Amino acid sequence: MTDEIVENLKRAIIRYDTKEAEIWAKKVVQEKLDPLRAAKAITETIRQIGEHYGQGELFLPELVGAAEAMQRAMPIIEEEIKKRGEKRETLGRIILGTVYGDIHSIGKNMVATLLIAAGFEVKDLGVNVPPEKFVAAVQDYQPDILGMSALLSTTAPEQRRVIRILKEKSLRDKVRIMVGGAAITEKFAQDIGADAYEATAPGAVELAGKLISD
Amino acid sequence: MAMRGFKLNTQPLQLLTQEQVEAIHQGTLKVLSETGIRIEHQEALELLSEHGCQVDFQKKQVRIPEYLVENCLSKVPSTFLVKARDPKNDLKIGGNTVYFTTFPGMRIVDLDTWKSRPATKKENADAVRVLDALENLHKILCYTPYFEVEGVPPVMAISESVAAKIRNSTKFQLTGYGRHCELFNIKMARATGCEIMGQCCASPPLTYYEDAIESAFRFVKAGLPLHISTGDIFGGTAPVTLAGALVITNAELIAIVVLTQLIKSGTRLVVADFVFPQNMRTGSPAFGGIECSLHHVAFNQIWRGKYGIPTNIASVGLSSSKKIDFQCGYEKTSLALLAALSGANLIQLHGGVHGEITYHPVQSILDDDIAGMIGHFIEGFEVNEETLALDLIKQVGPVPGYYLNKEHTRKWWRKEQFLPQVADRLTYPEWLKKGQKDALVLARERMEKILATHHPVPLSPEQDKAIDEILKEARRYYQQKELI
Ligand code: B12
Repeated sequence: MTDEIVENLKRAIIRYDTKEAEIWAKKVVQEKLDPLRAAKAITETIRQIGEHYGQGELFLPELVGAAEAMQRAMPIIEEEIKKRGEKRETLGRIILGTVYGDIHSIGKNMVATLLIAAGFEVKDLGVNVPPEKFVAAVQDYQPDILGMSALLSTTAPEQRRVIRILKEKSLRDKVRIMVGGAAITEKFAQDIGADAYEATAPGAVELAGKLISD
Repeated sequence: MAMRGFKLNTQPLQLLTQEQVEAIHQGTLKVLSETGIRIEHQEALELLSEHGCQVDFQKKQVRIPEYLVENCLSKVPSTFLVKARDPKNDLKIGGNTVYFTTFPGMRIVDLDTWKSRPATKKENADAVRVLDALENLHKILCYTPYFEVEGVPPVMAISESVAAKIRNSTKFQLTGYGRHCELFNIKMARATGCEIMGQCCASPPLTYYEDAIESAFRFVKAGLPLHISTGDIFGGTAPVTLAGALVITNAELIAIVVLTQLIKSGTRLVVADFVFPQNMRTGSPAFGGIECSLHHVAFNQIWRGKYGIPTNIASVGLSSSKKIDFQCGYEKTSLALLAALSGANLIQLHGGVHGEITYHPVQSILDDDIAGMIGHFIEGFEVNEETLALDLIKQVGPVPGYYLNKEHTRKWWRKEQFLPQVADRLTYPEWLKKGQKDALVLARERMEKILATHHPVPLSPEQDKAIDEILKEARRYYQQKELI
């Protein structure tokens, strides 16, 4: 029975079926199965799908589908983990958003998807995100990494503003900051005091791993 | 007298049946009246509400009723004149006229390493000067073409770009918007006695942010024409199916048609089709994808054909290739040709290389030949007594009859044949002797020649000073806002 429920949960993710994913996640809780084990199965499944994407066998619609099925199941499992006073091992928690004044979403979404598929916990704040909202999210979610996207050189300075406010509130040391987007360069990232810059989404996954293990 | 451009002298290419056009139109009306559009602009919401739209002021969502859509669509002029700095460069947009315009790029691409970097001010001005010289380029788009220019603070990019275009060309121009730069751009046009076209761009799906709507208000209130555009990506920010994507594009554009006609009835509009399939591997728009053309051709049929509103086919002038190469050439040519055949009024072809990231004047020179070829084709040819040449055929007879030495040939050949400026058309032995040059090399040579010899009519000293003053004013404005 135990195996069957977890297998069904995995299958729901492989089939991009958000409804089934939710149903089987709830079953895990109802049947009092080990939530840590279920969480691990989910992450491993999504990581496999991510690998297939990396090898060119699957494409973005599939990857996003699996990520969404996973995101439907995971909070249910996580709540149970919390209830039991246990803790799930994730690769790390990341907050992402496109800076204030900029509505470009595609690159940021791409980065979010690949991070999720790699096993990170991602909170996406959306586009046109005011600096205060980034700062509040850092305070509330205590992420390992804050990722900011900017495609316009006119709004790239918003990234600097966010970092300035984080410093003012003594939060800068609590979070690693990575930046990207068409308008951003390595040099700009250094100038504004970000920890790292990356120009591609797969690179962002590697970078996030490195920033956390450093 | 406006620039002639090219004339599409045949029935436009159509992909859709009348029923299919109607299905897309009805679908659009349903989306507008049921789902609605999010518009983050208080004045716009109030105006739309006053005119019978159902507005949720909290969600900033506007549902637009069918009668208002039909009413506003009918108010947009189907042809209109816009004034350039030099009256011979005025444009008469609409009808069967096809004009070519530019596609910008953020940076300049190096022709040897194919890497990009910000342009210098001189390179920026030179790129405009080349455009001024090209005979098949009728209008210059926003940015100059570069967005990143050394020594230009980002907030000044668009206004500096307007100035560079006014100074280095007498052709008509479109401008971008954002951070209130429209205020200064309109002033510069006024100070130099020309019109300028504004822009308002959706943030798909079904959303307009404040800066875009503010730009629309400013241009419409100033009595200037407006270019409205979307940016839908099939499978990303729009349905992956072309029919669904057309509904989204339509709904987004119609919302602004309604808004602008309510602000000022009869406002001159160009609707732009800027759409791509999503590249399902990289997540980027698939620049140069032939699916763009499926959308463009249907778009022309719906907008120019059914609604009678001039179209600008935008997603033509940029390639997925990083180089000026075979792929870049076939992608741009295929998309441009299909746009022209299906009745586009404006086609954004010149200069763009990769994905709105890079631009080069050499590319604009190559594209000018593509534009010339396409223009020559869509004009077709005359069939009359003289061109049928029956008398001549009788006179020349079979071999050793010959046409090269005939008056008829001298009279007609330049009209009947298109002469590309930089294509390699030498015989093989001549090509060997003359340095084995290809089109890219020839285009580089033409660029050098244009830069050495072409000097656009300069502004008067007073006008030049006025531009300087307006740029200074803009800089002060942004300094006060701590954006510089
Ligand atoms: C599609 C597009 C749009 C669409 C956006 C749709 C949407 N929902 O996102 C529309 C049409 C709406 C649009 C509007 C505008 N755009 Co636009 N747009 C583009 C375009 C063509 C592609 C962007 C894209 O999606 N790329 C694909 C993704 C996958 O790439 P990416 O975003 O760069 O992200 C990758 C990396 O950068 C990185 N990355 C991204 N974010 C992050 C974050 C982190 C933390 C990390 C580590 C990595 C990372 O990983 C991603 C995946 O590989 C670019 C040109 C270009 N090729 O970049 C112009 C471009 C970005 N736009 C530009 C401009 C100017 C505008 C407008 C201001 C136009 C105007 N009004 O005048 C408006 C913006 C309004 C606003 N307030 O934001 C300019 C910006 C120039 C500059 N240096 O400032 C560009 C570069 C074009 C140009 N001519 O120069 N645009």
